[in-house]
Amino acid sequence: MTVPTATGTTTAGTTALDALYVYGIVPAGSRAPRSPGVNGAPVRLLTETGLCAAVSTAPVRLRARRRDLMAHQAVLDELTAQGPVIPMRFAVVSPEAGVLRSELRTGAAHWEKQLDVVRGCVEMNVKGTVVPGCFAQLVRRDEKLRALARRTRQRPDYEANVRLGEALARGVRREARRAAREVLNHLAPLAVRSVQGSLDDEQVLSTSFLVRSADEPRFRQAVDARARDVGDRLALSVTGPLPCYSFVDPRPAPARR
Amino acid sequence: MITYDDDIVCAPRAGTLYDVLDLILDRGMVIDVFVRVSLVGIEILKVDARIVVASVDTYLRFAEACNRLDLEHDVRSKTVPELFGGPVATTLGRAGARRTARSLTDKVRDLLTPEEEREEPARRTGAREERGRSPQRPRTRPAEHPRHEHPRHEEDRPRPRPRRRQETEE
Repeated sequence: MTVPTATGTTTAGTTALDALYVYGIVPAGSRAPRSPGVNGAPVRLLTETGLCAAVSTAPVRLRARRRDLMAHQAVLDELTAQGPVIPMRFAVVSPEAGVLRSELRTGAAHWEKQLDVVRGCVEMNVKGTVVPGCFAQLVRRDEKLRALARRTRQRPDYEANVRLGEALARGVRREARRAAREVLNHLAPLAVRSVQGSLDDEQVLSTSFLVRSADEPRFRQAVDARARDVGDRLALSVTGPLPCYSFVDPRPAPARR
Repeated sequence: MITYDDDIVCAPRAGTLYDVLDLILDRGMVIDVFVRVSLVGIEILKVDARIVVASVDTYLRFAEACNRLDLEHDVRSKTVPELFGGPVATTLGRAGARRTARSLTDKVRDLLTPEEEREEPARRTGAREERGRSPQRPRTRPAEHPRHEHPRHEEDRPRPRPRRRQETEE
């Protein structure tokens, strides 16, 4: 997964002095969040044709520092508590206020549509990582694995141990993936939509669910119940309610591209 | 391991910054007339977060745990914790809430670490290097850098290491 490179900067990470860091877009009439923004800057709302953009003065040099990532998240959390929000990705900077205003004006219809998609909903992100274990069960169930384990025991050597361990790791991963599918099947009906994130050998479940705010407790209970069921194979974590990062579509590219 | 205490493994972990990093950095709206400042080092940060345990070292520990199972008899009724003696839950209860995570890690390492290593913690660093080439050799090499004990300890944890590194990134 690559991060889009800057299109308008000359030096990586630096911005013009009157540049605005944009957190998200909300309906007009929202209150400005109290949490400090990126680089500790106060966050204000810029209003244009029925929409507000939450912005702060962009730092001259922007990096993905822990505290800035958390500030971005905190500002959006506060806005999410008030109503629908179109969250921006981290590090979106408008060169100056005029550009942002015209963007809000010309894209008003698109923004309104996006706000409708996420209105009354939150994002719940569920991740699952492989829990190594259950070796006895794996060996019991898998004839090949049992034969391999027996051979390794009779003629123990380094190579044989690596092969056995590798086979066990594969088995453990397979079990975790199966558990992840079970979890998805149980959670999907409780959500409006879902989007899968990137997976690897260890993180075998990473899915964001668009959940109606009213259904959040039910969703959490369902995750709890699943966690108990699959806990010996898959460790679940749930994050939310979050701003709906995964359920907003970037504006269709203008004709020039 | 199936030896985790129910409360620890079976309650979903509350999300951390690490858990939302992919959303904050890869999802969310982007507007193409806007600048998206290039974030030097982000790719590295994220790759780092996905370090997997699939390594020879892990394989050997898995094999070791498996080699202790009774394959011929009774596989049905025995669980790994029984084979290693004593439920982990008891240990955890005594360890107290603050040290729970650490003691769990230790316990898991203990379960997955060959006996001789367990008794000679100071030699672990040396032993591990040896193990990479010849597990049969006696582990007599003294530890040159006792402080390397720490990375070893972290390496045994399935995931938290990269996560922690990320959280300390300023």
